[in-house]
Amino acid sequence: MTPRIIIANLGVRLKSFYRERSAMFFTFAFPVILVLVFGTIFTKPEHLNFDLPVQDNSRSEASARLLEALAAGDAFNVTPVPVAVDATEYAKEHKLNLLLVIPKNFEALQKQRVAGPHPGVPVPLTYVHDPSSTAVETKIQLLDTFVAAANQKATGSPPAITLVAASILSKRYRFIEFFVPGIIAMAIMTSCLSNALNMNAELRQKGILRKLATTPITRADWLASSIVYQLILSIVSTVAILLVSYFVFDVRLHIGFWLPLILVVEVIAFVGFGMLLTPFAKEAESASAVANAFLFPMMFLSGTFFPVEMMPAFLQTFAKLLPLYYVNEALRATMIFVDDAATLRAVGVTAAFAAVVFVAGTFKTRWDEST
Amino acid sequence: MTNTGPAIVVDKLCKHYGAFKAVDNISFTVKSGEVFAFLGPNGAGKSTTAEVIETIRVPTSGTVTVLGMDVTKRKAKVVRRIGVLPQNFSSFDRITVRESLQYYARVFGCRADIDALIDLTNLRDKSAARFNTLSGGLKQRLGIAIALVSDPEIVFLDEPTTGLDPHARRQIWDVLKGLKERGKTIFLTTHYMEEAELLADTVAIISNGRIVAIDSPAKLTEEHAVQMRLTLNSIDSAAAGLIRNLGFCPVPKGDDNLCVPVKTPEDVHRILAEIKRSGLTLGGLDVRKPNLEEVFLKLTETPAAGDQDRAR
Repeated sequence: MTPRIIIANLGVRLKSFYRERSAMFFTFAFPVILVLVFGTIFTKPEHLNFDLPVQDNSRSEASARLLEALAAGDAFNVTPVPVAVDATEYAKEHKLNLLLVIPKNFEALQKQRVAGPHPGVPVPLTYVHDPSSTAVETKIQLLDTFVAAANQKATGSPPAITLVAASILSKRYRFIEFFVPGIIAMAIMTSCLSNALNMNAELRQKGILRKLATTPITRADWLASSIVYQLILSIVSTVAILLVSYFVFDVRLHIGFWLPLILVVEVIAFVGFGMLLTPFAKEAESASAVANAFLFPMMFLSGTFFPVEMMPAFLQTFAKLLPLYYVNEALRATMIFVDDAATLRAVGVTAAFAAVVFVAGTFKTRWDEST
Repeated sequence: MTNTGPAIVVDKLCKHYGAFKAVDNISFTVKSGEVFAFLGPNGAGKSTTAEVIETIRVPTSGTVTVLGMDVTKRKAKVVRRIGVLPQNFSSFDRITVRESLQYYARVFGCRADIDALIDLTNLRDKSAARFNTLSGGLKQRLGIAIALVSDPEIVFLDEPTTGLDPHARRQIWDVLKGLKERGKTIFLTTHYMEEAELLADTVAIISNGRIVAIDSPAKLTEEHAVQMRLTLNSIDSAAAGLIRNLGFCPVPKGDDNLCVPVKTPEDVHRILAEIKRSGLTLGGLDVRKPNLEEVFLKLTETPAAGDQDRAR
């Protein structure tokens, strides 16, 4: 391995990267945009509220109190529905996934429940819903919670059981704090794998590899310069993600000595993996296809966007075969839980994978075209 | 290290891809300081042979030594003493001419005079231009400059003028003449006869993976070329019979032209005198000496001996 050659390769690759704006955008801006989008959606769930159209057929003091109570909570933004219309048709026509109907005799039924002639008979509230809507389940659960609380209050006695939360973490974390390490891992993997495959395919297709084969550059020089190049991009990308997270969403994660070590191991793992795949991606078109075939399953099944525990058991088992799962685990273990033992375990698995693919990738990188 | 022997020795070289014999048992020697032109039709095996010598491909059998070193065993040393312009040369798109030369100079670890190389290849005006903005001819000139960056003893140029317009082609030839004057050994792969005739000291013609002729252009022409040709333009149709009566075999060429193979200048005089005597009209004439192109066509249009073996 010759440092002079590694520096020369690095210079050419960094200049090429700097001069291609689209490459810069996808490497740095794309993960930052993901953080901004997901951060905006999930950072403050307590302010999340749903529209709840209500048809008040009662127009009584009792129904007014109910509407007031619904509007008082954070969960719903109550909107009125005309009394004269059919609720089901109205919901279909206006594409509403949930519509609450207060019956005409709501107040009378309430009085009967208390004073007779049928005391204790609950007052029915009908909701019209669209079961095909993905959001309706959450809204119905919130409505159930509201009704349960109202029933409890109506009994006049204090609740028999209350839930007390105790976190395993020393401070309260939000979704964005869990999300940021996943985005860092994903951005590095995407950059390393795509660049290794695309660069190799481009050099091969244009015949530059043939020219390089007649120079003193060795496979080890080329791999080493690829790793240093990707490491530089990874550091810049990670810093950009952390700065945006901090300044926009006030995300404060633990940044210790493990973080740079994990970046190095991840870069070696995915550059090596990319080199290993180059025989299957000899042209630019096949390079993208091969890269995507590995990137997308890893992106979605390794716990980058949502916890692995949400997936069926067999997919959870599969996730544990993916290297990105361990990078995610390592980054979260050090940046969120500050758990050295868990970090070491996850880094160990990633490093073992990196060693295997790096050695195999070195042998697979061909300068000449001999067969 | 100075090499006093031949620059390149190829001995019984074979390169097979499965049953296909791209290069089939060829041997030749390239002397130090000469321009060696390797001619052949497309797919004849000339680029494969060049790439084995350049260390890009591994031979199936046979040996190749460059400056006394076996290319398969001492690749690292060989590449430091050769410069290569590969076929369809390309470089990094967004890197300038000067940066490309600096990059290869660093890779070779040599103190190249970048300005001198830029001047030699007449790229002064384009030294700050990125590779993807250069025309075909400029790209090839940069490729030649890069091939010279380590001041190599042997320069391999694989079809350096293919696809270039006549003007760009002549500019490349000027560069190559400059290299020849500086005493570089040049291994030139081409299918342009004019190029080989103009530049080469030795020409090898390869067809179907085998060398069918090797010598100086003059000797090849002398040995293999067909006769001199007299072309008579806008000639009266009765001329064909007249010339045939003189013992020649005229061949119609186009609507009113005749092509007559002749052996000596005296034959030309006899034919012209007869046309003048008979009062036939003649629009113009052209006398062409035998050239390398004719040799090439003659040697490569029929299957080389032993092709039945290749087919098997």
